[in-house]
Amino acid sequence: MSSKQSDNRNRVTAVCIYALFCCACLIFGYVESVIPTTLIAPGVKLGLSNSVAILLLINKDIKGAFAVNTARILLSALLFGSPFSLLFSLTAGVISIIVSALSFKIKALSPIGVSIIGAVTHNIVQIIIACFVVSLGCVYYLPILVVSGVVTGGAIGFLAMLLFEKLKKIL
Amino acid sequence: MKKLKKADIILAMCLIIAAFALFITFYLFKTSGKKVIVRQNNKTVYSGLLSNDNQINLKHNTVVIKDNKAYMKCADCKNQICVKTGKISKSGETVVCLPNKVIIEIE
Ligand SMILES: [Zn+2]
Repeated sequence: MSSKQSDNRNRVTAVCIYALFCCACLIFGYVESVIPTTLIAPGVKLGLSNSVAILLLINKDIKGAFAVNTARILLSALLFGSPFSLLFSLTAGVISIIVSALSFKIKALSPIGVSIIGAVTHNIVQIIIACFVVSLGCVYYLPILVVSGVVTGGAIGFLAMLLFEKLKKIL
Repeated sequence: MKKLKKADIILAMCLIIAAFALFITFYLFKTSGKKVIVRQNNKTVYSGLLSNDNQINLKHNTVVIKDNKAYMKCADCKNQICVKTGKISKSGETVVCLPNKVIIEIE
């Protein structure tokens, strides 16, 4: 096979894998909507979809992580959300993936630490937006959302590492 | 596989300590609110002073404002979380009835 053909084939495989990850994220999103974590405090989420982004980052595929993350946020907003929820999820999602990608450069941290940083960033950004568009009182949720970011981020990072072990052959 | 590292634990501890410090600061500096706002389906259905004793009867919920405190007296929702939340009086505090989309907010 010529190198051009094999290049094309790799790209097709990559597109398929990204599409599969997007679907998995949408299912994760549905699972999360069934678990009433928002009763703890508004904005508390497991962030299962984030395991896919972390998984791709472990695989050093920053572009892929960024693409899948953005696509799944847009898709889930289109299917289940509103323009209002998109403002929250897209801003927080994009900023948190950039911060996660940067913190992967810190050698002392494992993917678990990176995932914690991503989750906490995500929650802080959401609170900042909520302070602007809902009310300044939202700032009182900051402590609980930081703690929940540490807990869920850690768990999701661990999950991403397990997934990477299982999936690294196809990535 | 790269397992949990020391830096991860330090990071997590620092964040939790920071969150705890924030919580205490907020608790100390929280001021008593002045205004009560009740919203249903994102529409304001009541807005008044906290010092103004009142009872707001909504279709599925009853909000009571008494002795500078506001609370959900009763609700027909299944989980009853709103009723169990108790009384609120500090600015930024909320009582949320998610099933009926009713929010009591202190400003
Ligand atoms: Zn209720």
